[in-house]
Amino acid sequence: MKNIVIGQFVPGSGFFYKLDPRTKIMAIIVLMVSLFLLKTMTQLLVALAIAVILLLIGKLSIVRIVKGLKPIFVLLIFTFFFQIFFNKTGALWLDQTMSLNWLSAGAIVLATVLWRVLARWKVGGILPFLIYLGLLYVSLSYLSYGSTWTSFQFQIYEKGVEMSVFVVIRLLIIITLSTVLTLTTKPTDLTMGMEKLLRPLKFIGINSEEFALIISISLRYIPTILDEANKIMLAQASRGADFSQGKLKEKVKQVISLLVPMFIIAFKRSEELADAMESRNFVPGKPRSRIYDLVFGMNDIVAFVISAGLLAAAITIQVI
Amino acid sequence: MSKLEINDLSFTYTGKRMILKNIQLQIQKGEWVAILGHNGSGKSTLAKCIVGLLEPQSGSVVVDDMVLSHKTAYEIRKKIGIVFQNPDNQFVGVTVRDDIAFGMENLGIPKDQMISSIDFYAEKVGVKEMLDKEPSTLSGGQKQRVAIAGILAMHTDVMVFDEATSMLDPYARNELMQYIQELHQEGMTILMITHDIEEALYADRIVVLKGGEVHLDASKEEALRQTERMTEAGLELPVSLRILNGVTNLDPSWKEYLWASTFDK
Repeated sequence: MKNIVIGQFVPGSGFFYKLDPRTKIMAIIVLMVSLFLLKTMTQLLVALAIAVILLLIGKLSIVRIVKGLKPIFVLLIFTFFFQIFFNKTGALWLDQTMSLNWLSAGAIVLATVLWRVLARWKVGGILPFLIYLGLLYVSLSYLSYGSTWTSFQFQIYEKGVEMSVFVVIRLLIIITLSTVLTLTTKPTDLTMGMEKLLRPLKFIGINSEEFALIISISLRYIPTILDEANKIMLAQASRGADFSQGKLKEKVKQVISLLVPMFIIAFKRSEELADAMESRNFVPGKPRSRIYDLVFGMNDIVAFVISAGLLAAAITIQVI
Repeated sequence: MSKLEINDLSFTYTGKRMILKNIQLQIQKGEWVAILGHNGSGKSTLAKCIVGLLEPQSGSVVVDDMVLSHKTAYEIRKKIGIVFQNPDNQFVGVTVRDDIAFGMENLGIPKDQMISSIDFYAEKVGVKEMLDKEPSTLSGGQKQRVAIAGILAMHTDVMVFDEATSMLDPYARNELMQYIQELHQEGMTILMITHDIEEALYADRIVVLKGGEVHLDASKEEALRQTERMTEAGLELPVSLRILNGVTNLDPSWKEYLWASTFDK
């Protein structure tokens, strides 16, 4: 849990640290819109290069950001294969007959057991999973013995591959941009920035101050609740529960046995916190003064001009 | 400095069992009152009624001639602050600075004044080096001191401690008790809710609750001499006093001396 970089603030002094959080939030929204306007792989690769340049300008460690992407690799792989399997446009690149028979089924079972055993020995991660997928492909395509139970055509189209790479790169850039925002912005500044940006919503009855306070309290209680979860897991482990072992059904039971006390504790906490807030004169909806002020500077103007320029470029490319 | 009166206060959560029954108390400015009682005697409920977190079925809480109600709660909470039992569940801010500022922000205090108050009160409670730290990096005692700084920054005159030391280790507990003593010496009215008689020894006066009623209300010395009344309320005297009570062949003047020195905190 502690290795997750997405959403974490890391103190530093680069260019992005000097920006007003409102500028960063707006710039990231503008850049994301620009990304969705791009249509070709070349344009997207240029955007990727720009994202890398931004990281270098901001003196942010690319290694740290790549490490932070680990938890979402599964999502990236899923997105990749989803496009490959379901996008059937363009030239046909691969047309492979796949069959399930005694030999291929045996090989699949063997590969699955090997993969899971490796995972149990903590040799998990992305590489064994990709090797496992490769073994599945080879087993279904080339291993044949005895009668065939069922067979199907595995087809890969030109556009399928292109779109899968395109979507994955776009997703990578989006996540990198949002990681830049959270890595370089203190949670208090982030909520303050959101509060100020959402202020116009008060005309439709949404109080941005309360919204920001909810986010701030949620951020503040994440470590406390994680700590609580660890304590409950340890307490249950001391009575024989093992969260890493067992069948899916048992794991679901164990998760429920973790969630129930956590919810009870969280509700109790929220009641006590509400009492503490009320006793310190918090009245929902009542105007409050703030200890932090947000001030736009020259860096903000530069950042805003750059992001607006990139949006304009993206729009121009589409029009031309 | 504020004077606190609790007049004929009764409270029930369910409408059936009365948690507090006709509580009558007067707490003078600058007084230190320990409210003792075993679990379920109504101590914490009384604390919540005093700061207006619970509305009593009958009776009233009066602070400086102002009767506590929905309309006056905001003003009264400027005078009375409360430190709760669990240090984690009262930490609102993402950092120590934010947490101390929270109450002042609610009062609409200007930014410059808030910054100087934060520095002053953080220094006073010894957390100035921790202003930018997150709550997860603080110990229980430090969190309680942050809570006190947040309340002091609101310029309260009365401080209610609702079993504020019960989740602390002995070192942090002693440190906090000494700090509360300092506050009291500066003139703060202290209302200490506890089930620990050792803590009550710091107080000027002891009020014992039993079954939601005032079972005993006397000065510390008088209250501790009434061992039977204490035992009836499910409370145990400190070991030193129990030993002293058991010694029969001791010169009365010596016994009196030893008894008095037990109270000398």
